Amino acid sequence: MYLPLANILHYKLRSVLSALGIGIGICMLVTLSGLSRGSLYEIADRWEAVDADLIVYPDVWGENVTTMSGIGVPDRYAARFRAKHGRLVEDVVPVFLWHLRLAGQDQTVAGVDVGDFQRLVGGRKLSAGRVFDPDGAFGEWLEELLLTDSDSDEVIEITEADLADPQHNGLELVIDDRLAAAGDYAVGDVVTAANHRFEIVGIVPAGGMTRLYMPRRAAQMLFGNGDITKSTILFVKLADGAEASLAARKLRRPGLEVIQVRQYRDMLEHKFGIMFTYVDAVNVIALVIAFLFIMITLYTMVLQQTRQIAILKSGGATNFFLLRQVLAESLLLTAAGTVIGLALSIAAAWAIQHFRPLLTVTITWHWVLAGATAALAGAALSALYPAWRATRVDVLEALSLE
Amino acid sequence: MASCDNILVAAGLHKTLGKGAAAVHVLRGLDLTVRRGEFLAVMGPSGCGKSTLLHVLGLITPPDDGAIELDGQPLPAGQARRNALRREHIGFVFQRFNLLNVLTARDNVAVSLRIRGKSDNGRVAELFEALGVARESRRKPEQMSIGQQQRVAVVRALAHRPALLLADEPTGNLDSTNSQALLEILRQTNRKEGQTIVMITHSASVAASADRIVQMDDGRILDGNDSAGR
Repeated sequence: MYLPLANILHYKLRSVLSALGIGIGICMLVTLSGLSRGSLYEIADRWEAVDADLIVYPDVWGENVTTMSGIGVPDRYAARFRAKHGRLVEDVVPVFLWHLRLAGQDQTVAGVDVGDFQRLVGGRKLSAGRVFDPDGAFGEWLEELLLTDSDSDEVIEITEADLADPQHNGLELVIDDRLAAAGDYAVGDVVTAANHRFEIVGIVPAGGMTRLYMPRRAAQMLFGNGDITKSTILFVKLADGAEASLAARKLRRPGLEVIQVRQYRDMLEHKFGIMFTYVDAVNVIALVIAFLFIMITLYTMVLQQTRQIAILKSGGATNFFLLRQVLAESLLLTAAGTVIGLALSIAAAWAIQHFRPLLTVTITWHWVLAGATAALAGAALSALYPAWRATRVDVLEALSLE
Repeated sequence: MASCDNILVAAGLHKTLGKGAAAVHVLRGLDLTVRRGEFLAVMGPSGCGKSTLLHVLGLITPPDDGAIELDGQPLPAGQARRNALRREHIGFVFQRFNLLNVLTARDNVAVSLRIRGKSDNGRVAELFEALGVARESRRKPEQMSIGQQQRVAVVRALAHRPALLLADEPTGNLDSTNSQALLEILRQTNRKEGQTIVMITHSASVAASADRIVQMDDGRILDGNDSAGR
């Protein structure tokens, strides 16, 4: 049997602990990267799932559009874009974004007109219940109240009871199934958020733009200071054959920025770049600790195997032969550690997503390879000093021949 | 290895083991000549330096003073080149066998061959068979008796057909039957392959198998160094 492998199998506890140490380092690298990037990329994936090509938002927001909510773009632009660029634009979807605290954490809620709902969820069919304000009665009721020209100076007062009136209930939510799992919510449940009571009327498979959807007019009314003339952003669906970058330039107005939906991911990455830096720093520390662990293990191994090394030297083993043995043992342990690390990462990803359904851990081969490469390079470096010590073993002293 | 009447000539060897107050001057100007193809037995009381002599002659440790010629050539400078000579020309049977505990008997021999860049060519199986440890060849040292371990150590030392075999009490842990079998193997390799053997032993009956016996005491060869043989 190959000597390094025989050593690993002979010193089982030492080998298992070493491989585990390496595995934990790799697991941290893969899981932390997968968690930070996975959760962020999942948001980007969801935005990219929207059946639209362009996003319109106030230019002063810059990259902050990835986190902005509330009043942003006047709704009138939706009508103008449709009217002026009919050949370029197939549809314009105003969306009012806000944040509601559900299932223990802030969730972005998308206020959207019922007719545009399918575009926002990328065509996903509800898995339970119905969509909010299905006949548009709430939207019509509010528009009639607030948008109809009136000479009257009478102050229009809308109460919570008006909003929740069964005839035109605006306090309805559709949530995605991951949020439903996280909060143990079902259709018919009533939840309180932002000092309002909402009824969950439908559940949609995850993957749409947000985890929460409500009538846009209700969102504007409640979270936009009663102004139902402005939304947060506009999604633009281009007509067949329209070129996106060209269309973006044409739709751009003073005060308005227009980007392609696929640019959102880059903006998100850039916006949260500092978080990646932090996570990567933690990963590097984890790997350094893992390498120190390997080094200590190999050094201990050399001490433990002093007699064996002396026997090899007494047989004429060259320094290169001894170095190769230590290095091979280190690399074998690291290979085993990499497998363990990958298995631990998969288990950790499953556990995180099982117990925290709103978190996403994306294990990519990119990071697995990065972890394995870093571990193997680290193992080789970590083996150098113990290997050098091996070449310095005094044969007679080690064999205690006298 | 180039042909020369004397395969090994040691002159004025000095060796001190340990340091400071614990230092022991083990070899004290030792001279020894070993002829090619000779089977030489070195006898002497415990602690007289026999094992140290073997380690110095086996190039495992350098002498503090004195000169060694191997096949008429002085030893090269540098441990790496001496290691190369040891790998190529010297086989060693240690008093305590020094087998690798993590490997089977077969793998112990295989590693030794690998270090020397030699191939098996069926010789290892023959040696295992001849020394009566063929069945044990797949066992690890800890699963073998002391005597079996000793015989495996001999297989390892002979596997690469060294020109010079240095054996430190090779029969020390064997019963009389196995001792005789081992000595027969050594005699055969000595006669058939012309292998030179330097064997340390306490036993006069074991030493009697050798062509020549030298007595050693207090770090020097007392007599027999110039003997023409038995």
